[in-house]
Amino acid sequence: MSLSSPAARSVDSPVVVDRGDGVAMRARGLSLGFGSTAVLADLDLDIHRGTITALIGPTGSGKTTFLRSLNRMNDKVAKHWHRGDVLLDGSNIYSPGVQLMALRRRVGMLFQRPNPFPMSIAENVLAGVKAHGIAGKQHYRAIVEARLREVGLWEAVSSRLGSSPFNLSGGQQQLLCLARALATGPEVLLLDEPTSSLDPITTEHVEALLRSLAPALTIVIVTHNLAQARRVSNRTAFFYQGRLVELTDTTKLFESPEHPETANYVSGRMG
Amino acid sequence: MTLTTADQVPPADPLPATRAALASHGRTGFMQEKLPRLVTSLAAFVPMAALLAIVGVLAWKALPALGYNGIGFLWHTAWRPGNAYANPVRTGGVLHPVGASYGALPLVAGTLESSVIAVAVAVPVSVGAALLVVEKLPRRLSSTVGLFLEVLAGIPSVVFGLWGALTFGPFIARDVAPFVAGHMPDVPVLNFFRGNVGYGEGLLTSGLVLAVMIIPIVAATARDLLRQVPRLPKEGALALGMSDWEVARKVSLPWARAGIIGASVLGLARALGETMAVAMVSGAVLGTVPTNLYLPMSTIAATIVSQLDGAFTDGTGYAVRTLAEFALLLAVITLLTNIAARVLVRRVAGTALPIGRGV
Amino acid sequence: MTTAGAGAAGRVPDNTPLDLYGRPAWHRVAAGYVGWGACGLAVALIAAPLASVLWGVIGRAVPVWRWSVLTEAGNGQGGGLANEIVGTLFILAGVSVLAGSVGVLSGIYLSEYARGRTGAVLRGASEVLAGIPSIVLGYVGYIALVIALHWQYSLAAALITLSALTVPYIAKSTEAALRQVPTTYREGAEALGMSPLRSLRRITLKAALPGITTGWLVAMAISVGETAPLLYTAGFSDSLPSLSLTHSPVGYLPYVVWTFYNYPAKAFQSLSYDAALILVVMVLVLIVLARIVVAFTQRHTERN
Repeated sequence: MSLSSPAARSVDSPVVVDRGDGVAMRARGLSLGFGSTAVLADLDLDIHRGTITALIGPTGSGKTTFLRSLNRMNDKVAKHWHRGDVLLDGSNIYSPGVQLMALRRRVGMLFQRPNPFPMSIAENVLAGVKAHGIAGKQHYRAIVEARLREVGLWEAVSSRLGSSPFNLSGGQQQLLCLARALATGPEVLLLDEPTSSLDPITTEHVEALLRSLAPALTIVIVTHNLAQARRVSNRTAFFYQGRLVELTDTTKLFESPEHPETANYVSGRMG
Repeated sequence: MTLTTADQVPPADPLPATRAALASHGRTGFMQEKLPRLVTSLAAFVPMAALLAIVGVLAWKALPALGYNGIGFLWHTAWRPGNAYANPVRTGGVLHPVGASYGALPLVAGTLESSVIAVAVAVPVSVGAALLVVEKLPRRLSSTVGLFLEVLAGIPSVVFGLWGALTFGPFIARDVAPFVAGHMPDVPVLNFFRGNVGYGEGLLTSGLVLAVMIIPIVAATARDLLRQVPRLPKEGALALGMSDWEVARKVSLPWARAGIIGASVLGLARALGETMAVAMVSGAVLGTVPTNLYLPMSTIAATIVSQLDGAFTDGTGYAVRTLAEFALLLAVITLLTNIAARVLVRRVAGTALPIGRGV
Repeated sequence: MTTAGAGAAGRVPDNTPLDLYGRPAWHRVAAGYVGWGACGLAVALIAAPLASVLWGVIGRAVPVWRWSVLTEAGNGQGGGLANEIVGTLFILAGVSVLAGSVGVLSGIYLSEYARGRTGAVLRGASEVLAGIPSIVLGYVGYIALVIALHWQYSLAAALITLSALTVPYIAKSTEAALRQVPTTYREGAEALGMSPLRSLRRITLKAALPGITTGWLVAMAISVGETAPLLYTAGFSDSLPSLSLTHSPVGYLPYVVWTFYNYPAKAFQSLSYDAALILVVMVLVLIVLARIVVAFTQRHTERN
């Protein structure tokens, strides 16, 4: 199931241990929990560079927790603990001395519901750019336009870039948040059920968008919608009770799963 | 629950006992529904009645003085009770001592200046503390700060007055004011911070004591508002690589801004009306507008409390009427400030503000 | 749109992956330290005056403290504070009954019966009343009750004036507490065939009792320390308060603090400090009681 051998495992080592070809992120022996509950148990999996990986599984299977461990969003949760490594481009993101702000600039995230900031539409797009000092003032306009065009929001908002994002529809707000995440130039984009609060037409738009972003960007998407996983992803991981049951090509996972649990889930007999 | 559906929908021919119960229920309908409603509604009208009575009594008492003092009352600086030994005279139907003349300007100025100082000091302190409590401190520590605020809100204003007069005022006059006054350049506006620092009774001490007194309501409200900021935008900012300070500055504070402005206006209203502590630390000087930070002064509220005794000696009742005019002025100012704060917050933030002292 | 700036130049930073260990720009780090440092300073600026006030009161009162102030009435040479303590307790008891009943009933109306505009207007009036400066209330109490009704300085005038100030607190906390009672409780009582009044008394009010008690304790803490509404309604007296509601002035603790602190005679100054200490202790006791009620309720609800 796992590509990394236990022998290669190093705990909390800042040195580059393996630069797996084509692997953007890799979890090795990752266990994670809060207080006395373990949510993830000894997980090994690879996220291939430039592909879309879907994480599926029943509620409580640990897929969202795993997603949030990829940019260390669990760190702030009370009584959080972890064992094992998560590698980004070969470097362990859990090593001491890793700067969360630098990590999250490289690993962006889009959430279940749109979460625009209380500032203008343009300021929202620029929030990360300004925080990290990525570009000078003279580039702001161009960045706003490029990112909004990229997500297909430019036509709708170009005349009111200075106004509040809270008057936009839910779908438009989510696209704005996507533009905001793209503006910092991440290598990996994590999506936590990004379309669960959107209408079917916007969902379709977002899915097309993700497919077009993929070659340049590594995408990991958590979804409850199996059809969506099938439509957008290259590879799919099935989580069950905090374990990774199966990770393989999406077509294979849905059509000829190796494990009976996976088969049960994708055929709708469990979940 | 299913067992009781029979009670809700009586069968066509109820048993005699049930029928009796239904009949008695009909008879006690007045006792059950109307009477409690009537009694409680009477109680609920009490605050409204009290408000009307306050404005009514003040207007009734102040009206003659209002006529005689005229609109110029608002920008006069005089405080002359007049000659109590000469025969009183009647002007425009109002009996008053010879030469009596009162102006509101010094008191209005003193009230506004001290309250503005209070708000300018209290709001940054309150918001800073609220941010730390909500975003950084562990539960135990934030609960400790909460206790501080509750105790601060509970301390009687005479005790603040005592502290201001005996401890804090002298400290300001000895250790703070000379330094500030000595280092301010002599240019317009900053002139206000220069001057003889006096003995610690005056505008600066009043403003700072008021600041301490309004911190609980502003800080506790700001804290509650910041707690209501949803988790998702804050997480979004963190996931974008912002530091926790940047999240607080760019997301949490703007999110709660309207409510915090409302809380500040509420604090202002409370500072405008605070009486005892100011009466004990203001220096109680009437008739002059304070032109620097250290001069003794007075506020409307403090003047009412300190001058009412003396006003009784005016046999014509004119002094008491003038104080009624002051009270009316103060009531109107604080009423408008309060309503403004509440309307603002309810419209923009959709939450309600605490009342009075808050906490 | 051609590429412009790093943000638009391409998503994967060209060939040079950002260092995971790269520290953020110095000004971001500095802003964090300065910002949180300022917030820490703000907490200190709240704690310091509080400590100074408490220490100021204790440090002045304890050295001159004698237990006889609790038992002796005041006299021309100073004497004790027994009459003011009893007066304050009288006022407290009166307000707790008068403001307590009006406030709770008013809260019940606002939560259980008031609909639409009426409720909003009455609630607004109550909130605004709480914001009226206490000296204005005191002045109106003086004109209306002491003079116009010829009650003179009296317990009744003091109670009514102080109650006007405290009713909004009790009404608001009662309303809030009642609103927090789950509707299922009420529906359950109704389904059991309980009469509306009985269900209100036995179920709803009982569930809201801790919240109501907390608000009531806050109102008591305010009543203990308020001075401005009492100066010209209760007047002042050197002897123990009589039981008559009108025509008999009442002594109370805040008056002693306000009047005696700058008397030349040391005996009076000491009384002023003692009174301040007793006031602070009373307020602290009420606050601790309120905290206990809240803590007890929270534990209770968590267990449920």
